[in-house]
Amino acid sequence: MPERDVCIIGGGMSRWGVREASIIDMAQEAAKECFDEVPALKKKDVDGLLFASSYCGRRSFQVNIAPVIAERIGIKPTSMCTRLDTLCAGGSSGIILATGLIKSGMADVVVVAGGEKLYTPQRWETYYSELASIDHDWDGAQGMGLPPPYFSMTAQEHMKRYGTTKEQLGAVSVKNRRNGSTNPKGHFQKAVTMEEVMASRVIVPPLSLFDCCPITDGCAAVLLTYEEKAKELTDRPLVYIRGTAQVSLHSMSMNWPGEHLADWLHLRTAAKRAYEMARVGPDDIDVAMTHDCFTISEIVEMEDLGFCKKGEGGPFVESGQSDFGGKLPVNTDGGLLSCGHPFGATGIRQAREMLHQLQGRAIRQVEGAEIGLTHNLSGLNVEHTILIYGREP
Amino acid sequence: MPVPGVPILDGKYPSSMDLYPLEAKEFNRIHQFYENLRQKRFTTTKCKKCGHVPFPPRVVCPKCNSDDLEWVDLPTQGKVLQFTEEVAGVPLGFEAPLIHALIDLGEGRKLVSRIINCKEGQLKEGDAVKLAVFDIPPMIIEKKGGVMDEAKRVFFAFEPVKR
Repeated sequence: MPERDVCIIGGGMSRWGVREASIIDMAQEAAKECFDEVPALKKKDVDGLLFASSYCGRRSFQVNIAPVIAERIGIKPTSMCTRLDTLCAGGSSGIILATGLIKSGMADVVVVAGGEKLYTPQRWETYYSELASIDHDWDGAQGMGLPPPYFSMTAQEHMKRYGTTKEQLGAVSVKNRRNGSTNPKGHFQKAVTMEEVMASRVIVPPLSLFDCCPITDGCAAVLLTYEEKAKELTDRPLVYIRGTAQVSLHSMSMNWPGEHLADWLHLRTAAKRAYEMARVGPDDIDVAMTHDCFTISEIVEMEDLGFCKKGEGGPFVESGQSDFGGKLPVNTDGGLLSCGHPFGATGIRQAREMLHQLQGRAIRQVEGAEIGLTHNLSGLNVEHTILIYGREP
Repeated sequence: MPVPGVPILDGKYPSSMDLYPLEAKEFNRIHQFYENLRQKRFTTTKCKKCGHVPFPPRVVCPKCNSDDLEWVDLPTQGKVLQFTEEVAGVPLGFEAPLIHALIDLGEGRKLVSRIINCKEGQLKEGDAVKLAVFDIPPMIIEKKGGVMDEAKRVFFAFEPVKR
């Protein structure tokens, strides 16, 4: 069978936040919205499920959750039914794998879903469990499981080396919370002012409360299929997956691959590969969803994704280049800072927003957007994952 | 000690909740690292075939796949390049301020470690720090006949060198 072009045709999200619901409940909410977007699809057409969740084993006491989700949402996969875990990039990993399966003919119609129930009945367990997110025996045992200290050092390095200011960090938060204020599915619907950001409580200097994404429950789901099937199932413009990359150069902090903590070699490596596969460059990207787990992350990402020069990420965001009306709007649905970050669901949330942007029906629409990029970093900045979407294959 | 909600766990050691490594030799082939640590030595494995010295220690050389490895010492003193003092949201098992530093150990190695025996506001960039070894709670391992064996453990951080 010749290679097939792969399209994303539908997307859904549960409500995200501190939810009075289980992961199984939220997966059903997300899948319902996804199926509702593609009324022509019959559930028997779906032959694959990839479910991204890192914490279902620890916090929902459920491993091998994919068959549970498949049964609850009413599908009977015949090509693939599995869970995957890339922490913060799990959802994007699922989309990459589904693309390969569909492109090769091993699967035809795949639901990629994911999510987490991170809030446990007692908060100590919510925070304590985070220690499993990183290289457990070495960095985890040093108390590095909650990432603010590591990104604090990244921010310090960026400030010292390039003169980045706390206001420039804050500009990311103000933009993303404003973008998220009209997203009914996100954790927050409240914009914040620069004054509020600057006055917010310090978490780890120089990072304050609004520099950090919250801990969030939620699920998301998207539907992928090959081009001909997509044309049968939807009248909306087709959105193709054009380029992908996932790069892992180290795990333990001692083996950090960059020259310094604000030098993300693994991100640049991923970007180069994804751009080449998609036959585009950074200047071709009309809209991006990048991994703003912390404000400093989005600033470094602007640089190492090639949207601005190294060291100029601070002025780039401060001058509105990553906002509507600028060079390319980034995190148009609010990003992690406003939507929250139920790890396995985040890449799928980004894909859903990208689908809506490239189909011209996003809540905050980037006019004429044709090519978009989504990006995740995982764990203690140990892995970078990129997808490039386009209106042409 | 009673475990509310899960009374069947009363008095049990749930290793899946243990933030420290399962160091005991029954569970860990790099057990020697912790034995060396107990002697205040900071060590890793060196490949006898190709000479590669990775950290953390391995059971197989990641470069040449040889499993003929030996233990070698790493520096136990370093210099603080950067540090953070976490005052809020410190995970259970650690106390605020939770101080972490990027330490230059020399030999081209930089390590992120916790800094202990140090008050908030005391540490400065460029400070000398040295390895600190401390006891952590033992693992309770079930032996034949249901006998419970205590495997003592140590772990490490770094601490300021007194001037």
